[in-house]
Amino acid sequence: MPITPMEVYKLLPKTNCRKCGEPTCMSFAFKVINREKNIEECTPLFEDDRYSRQRDELLKLLEPLKEATETGLIVTEDLCVGCANCIVVCPVHAAEDPYGSAAGSGPKIEDPIFRLEDGVLKVINMTKCRRYGKNRILCVACRENCPSDAIRFLEG
Amino acid sequence: MICTGCSCLCDDIVVDGGVRNACRRGAGIFRFVNEGRAKPMINGEVVDFEKAMDAAGDIIGNSEKLAVYGLDTTTVEAQQKAIELAKTKEAYIDDNSSFCLGDFVELILKEELPTTTLDEVRNNAYVVFYWGTDVYHSLSRHMSRFTYYPRGGKRQRGYEEDRFLVVVDVRRSHTAKLAKKNARFIEVGDDLELIDAILKVLDGKAPEKFAKDAVRIVKEMQKADFNVIIGGLGLKYGLKGDYQQFLEFVRRVNEVTNLYFIPAGCHPNMRGFNQLLFEKTGHVNRYSFRDEEAGEKFAFPKLLEDGEIDAALIVGTDPVNSLPFDIAKKLKDIKTILIDPRQSLTAEIADVVLPSAISGLETGGTMIRIDGVKVELAPFLEKKPDDVSIISSLLEAV
Ligand code: SF4
Ligand code: SF4
Ligand code: SF4
Ligand code: SF4
Repeated sequence: MPITPMEVYKLLPKTNCRKCGEPTCMSFAFKVINREKNIEECTPLFEDDRYSRQRDELLKLLEPLKEATETGLIVTEDLCVGCANCIVVCPVHAAEDPYGSAAGSGPKIEDPIFRLEDGVLKVINMTKCRRYGKNRILCVACRENCPSDAIRFLEG
Repeated sequence: MICTGCSCLCDDIVVDGGVRNACRRGAGIFRFVNEGRAKPMINGEVVDFEKAMDAAGDIIGNSEKLAVYGLDTTTVEAQQKAIELAKTKEAYIDDNSSFCLGDFVELILKEELPTTTLDEVRNNAYVVFYWGTDVYHSLSRHMSRFTYYPRGGKRQRGYEEDRFLVVVDVRRSHTAKLAKKNARFIEVGDDLELIDAILKVLDGKAPEKFAKDAVRIVKEMQKADFNVIIGGLGLKYGLKGDYQQFLEFVRRVNEVTNLYFIPAGCHPNMRGFNQLLFEKTGHVNRYSFRDEEAGEKFAFPKLLEDGEIDAALIVGTDPVNSLPFDIAKKLKDIKTILIDPRQSLTAEIADVVLPSAISGLETGGTMIRIDGVKVELAPFLEKKPDDVSIISSLLEAV
């Protein structure tokens, strides 16, 4: 299940104290999910014991962030059969690897976004993904073509 | 390296430390190459390989009614020797295709069903049917390597524009879930109703069932000069033995566009066996060299059930696991020799077990992909003896 900014917001102090450097708790929540901010940057949450229960809940909620890649893409290896649909549909692979993954074979470039290793999908180089970096766009091609939901994105 | 995990025979596998590019099933074969290996055995006791060979030779020598069975996971070269052996012994020979897709392969070899290769499909196909097969599980890389997703030849713009996917099944399988944009999933109770609906559309009549889908499919097929049905067991059962209606359907569609057929068989070299036997006898499976004819009564499970055989040479398959228990238990009433790289339930009950090298990984040779394309195996290890040498020695002994 993707984590929503609202869920994060609800567990923050909601005082808009700006100690995290954000104007509001809500905008901080957004940035935490996008991994532009760390939850630890909300110092009141960690310093004030009143928030201890919220804090524990929040840390649990954000647990998947750790396994997620830089673009929020998470692969659940147990669900992956290694069909390679995601590898072949990826528009970046289509453009950069015309004789490899674009044509249905294993990637022939050295640093594809992902490839099959030991039978399951492994992320090799997330920085090539269209969802990465400043000019990112919301591509979902790989997830859309994984019928067992082995691929998901944090923000849905 | 070639993966012999299924009939896709993927040719881009890299093994260095890990296994690259193979699906889960394929990678498992490489990763666990040394696990669960069979040992030479006589009556459940581990013995010298030579001793086991002698015992196997005796069983075959003494057998009056021998059946040779399996062979879909070994090479064409080994299949050839096995057919020779069956011929010499006037034995029965059969593989898994008799309860798999052998009927379709036979129609293809008899040129009653137009067919093509998977490479042609990649380069040309527009409408791709997956009919009665959940390839996501059975042939995991089929869609991404050959049919719907890859770009090639005339189909450079990717699946969303250059392909039209039709998944026909009795339930919403994982493969069916992929039918999204530019695609249809058709849930059938009776496959013949869908065939009938498409035939009606071709006649310019309005079908009662599947009206919208049938019209759309015919329209999409006419947009291109190359369409293909990948047909599986679900289609076979759906036709209920009535292949004529299916042939008629394919023939009629081919009057207005081109439609080809490729079976979605799973065993890596089932097509090889079917083709070899067909060249020699005109039949693809269930053949009796004594009667010089093929038929249901010569299917391996039937021979067992009817008590028609006194010994079986089983190659690379596990009937105790795959056949219904009531039939499989009859293996105990006859003499059985198993040639297989891996330990299995059949190995546990066999009179003689002859462990062999894994085709493709430890020994080379040829396999024939499900679409008829020859694939030369490229083993990365070397192990002896392999199926060819074992069956050759048995052949020499008789
Ligand atoms: S530091 Fe915490 S409480 Fe203060 S604005 Fe940021 S998120 Fe809200
Ligand atoms: S989100 Fe798009 S660009 Fe990124 S890996 Fe998936 S398919 Fe490729
Ligand atoms: S993540 Fe999904 S689409 Fe990608 S290889 Fe695994 S099962 Fe296939
Ligand atoms: S699809 Fe079949 S041949 Fe290809 S890697 Fe998987 S098991 Fe091996």
